[in-house]
Amino acid sequence: MSTSDQSLANHFDEVTGLLYLEGQLDEDRAKAVAAHVASCAPCRQLLHALESESVWLRESLTTDDEPIPAHLVSVPERNSTHWGWIAAFGLCAGGLYTLWNGIVEPWLASISQAGLSQQGILTWFIFQGAFWKGWDAMRTLTDFMAVATLGSLAIWLFRKQWKRFTPIAFVMGALACALALPPAAAAADIERGDPSYTLPGGQEVKNDLVVAADRTRIDGDVDGDLIVFSYSVTVNGHVKGDVLGLANKLTINGMVDGNVRVAADSIAINGSVGKNITAWQDQFDLDEKAKIGGSLSLLAGNADLDGQIGGDLTVLARVVDLNGLLAGSALIRSQRLVVGPQAEIQGKAKFSGWHPPEIAQGAKLSSPIDVSIKGPGPDYASGRYYWHQTLSWGASFIFGLVLLLVAPHFFFDVVQSSKRIGPALGLGTLFLLATPIAAVIVCATIVGAAVGVIAVLLWLIGVYSAQIFTASWLGEKLLGGAAGASHAIGRMALGLAIIRALTMLPYAGPIVGFCVTIWGLGAIVLTVHRRMQVQAPAAV
Amino acid sequence: MDRRKTTGAMSEADLAQVLSQVRAGDADAWGELYRQYAPAIFRFCRRLLPAREDAEDATTEIFMKVRQKLGTYDSSRPFTAWLYKVASNHCWDTLRRRRIRQDLETGDVDALPLEHPDPGQLERLQNEHTSKEVRAGLAKLPDRARMALVLRYYADMSYDEIADTLAVRRAFVGVLLLRARHQLRDALGQPDATIAVKAGGGRKT
Repeated sequence: MSTSDQSLANHFDEVTGLLYLEGQLDEDRAKAVAAHVASCAPCRQLLHALESESVWLRESLTTDDEPIPAHLVSVPERNSTHWGWIAAFGLCAGGLYTLWNGIVEPWLASISQAGLSQQGILTWFIFQGAFWKGWDAMRTLTDFMAVATLGSLAIWLFRKQWKRFTPIAFVMGALACALALPPAAAAADIERGDPSYTLPGGQEVKNDLVVAADRTRIDGDVDGDLIVFSYSVTVNGHVKGDVLGLANKLTINGMVDGNVRVAADSIAINGSVGKNITAWQDQFDLDEKAKIGGSLSLLAGNADLDGQIGGDLTVLARVVDLNGLLAGSALIRSQRLVVGPQAEIQGKAKFSGWHPPEIAQGAKLSSPIDVSIKGPGPDYASGRYYWHQTLSWGASFIFGLVLLLVAPHFFFDVVQSSKRIGPALGLGTLFLLATPIAAVIVCATIVGAAVGVIAVLLWLIGVYSAQIFTASWLGEKLLGGAAGASHAIGRMALGLAIIRALTMLPYAGPIVGFCVTIWGLGAIVLTVHRRMQVQAPAAV
Repeated sequence: MDRRKTTGAMSEADLAQVLSQVRAGDADAWGELYRQYAPAIFRFCRRLLPAREDAEDATTEIFMKVRQKLGTYDSSRPFTAWLYKVASNHCWDTLRRRRIRQDLETGDVDALPLEHPDPGQLERLQNEHTSKEVRAGLAKLPDRARMALVLRYYADMSYDEIADTLAVRRAFVGVLLLRARHQLRDALGQPDATIAVKAGGGRKT
């Protein structure tokens, strides 16, 4: 800086210079500054520099080189959401009706059949839901729409809430659900293993028994239900109620008067079960001495059925080996079916699988097995396949439409986020795989069961929605970005059609489907994360 | 005061008519008002909020507020002044909610160098950096410094309005602006440095 012959004390400081330039000094001070500037070159230079900086700042800030985003160009009309709401409520009403007709009523009927009390509905849903025979019907357009509409309404409600109340809402929701669990839980003996739990022979538990332990062994009697979360469970005694639970290995050598509803890695039934068994496992063994009073519904890797089954048999498995008495009818879907020489099927039997059933000489069948052989993968020759694909496309499109109308900002946000391909794919993979695992872990605590179920439901909605966002991104890539919801709808429809067509390809199809799902899911996670991050400090 | 330009031009009489129609619930008039001012407000938000998505959200939310609050607008004052006031309050709230402000609440002139800046160096800075770089530099500034510069040099707000928005004394606005300029000069001079540290801010409010 150049030195001046005037003393430094007479120079004004930079703030004064700025205030002078911006007309913020009072009259006297401004005059003094003006007088000083007239005779002081350095201060003149300073004023000049500050002024050109002001001009430069204004120019830099007001230069427009970034276009306003397409979806902001159209006016956010609140009126236009009216018909969106009417449509959503209409769909919702239709959905509720379908849900009642398709799910609740059959449920109530099945519940009375299965001998469950009304209080057990939630438990029943958790353990039975996956095996409900009506899941096929659920795939029809109407049902899907109903669930989708309810789901998107839930998303919308959550979105409104999580601005301020997310943590509270989650905790309260979980508590409410926990309280809504069967009140029977209140009249239960709750045991925590240390690390294992054994109910010794000769002892009797008068209530329900809830056990969380490494290894659980029941040698005594349980008057109520046995609800168990354990690595291994062995029942040698007598359970007068139901057996419900999660385990790695479940063995029943004793007697269960009620139902058995479990998810496990392997299940062995050597004793007797009075009512039905609903189970999800890799290996299921029904010993030849074992008896089941009711029906057996299985989702299994391998099912080895040598014992007696009093009711119907419904199995979805890789390999089914049937070599015992089946009093009811059989519905079997598996790659292979082996009917052994000791087998006796008194009802009708229906089998669909990859290979023809292997039926031993001595097997007694009341009527020939109704067999349909279908190799792995879709049946490209059938018109039904394409009709189904078209329906699925329609369902996803309508779901996307509802999402777009109900939560447009969220929708466009997620489409934006899907442009960050790397993070979206990474996060998507993580959430696709980790959420169910986390949910199962959370389910291992009684209170957590509700949270786990909610998490899985949200996850399912997210997985289904994923294609919508990837499709919108794809449509935008192909047709270019444009303003307004109507263009977004067109782009989404095109994107969904392309994705649907790609997923129909043999071999590559599932890979495309997987990528589309993790990408979209990742974009949703990114958006939700960003929104929560914005809102979170408000609670501090 | 000459307010920032908005897209196209709307005469005062037209604006007054549109505003009264909007108040009467005319959706078309609202559309016209939105189209007129949304781009400017979006750019305003874009300069204040670091993420583009935030700016988009903020723009929509600001216009929802404007529609709700239009009844409280005093038509004897310039509309753009009121609009930018609503917008800046919204953005400031957003920033404030997001993180505890890092810069000092009350400033003192001592924090600024007493020496005059080198005019040659300032000129070089202005010549060497594009508008885009300036805006990128702006994004590195502490929230309040960035707010001050944008309110003053983009939205053309008066010192009183800035003081009111940022909840500081009016006499402090000049210091705030000058400090922000220093921070911007530093940010542009050393592109990778974090400015907040150098600004001496550390006391959390």
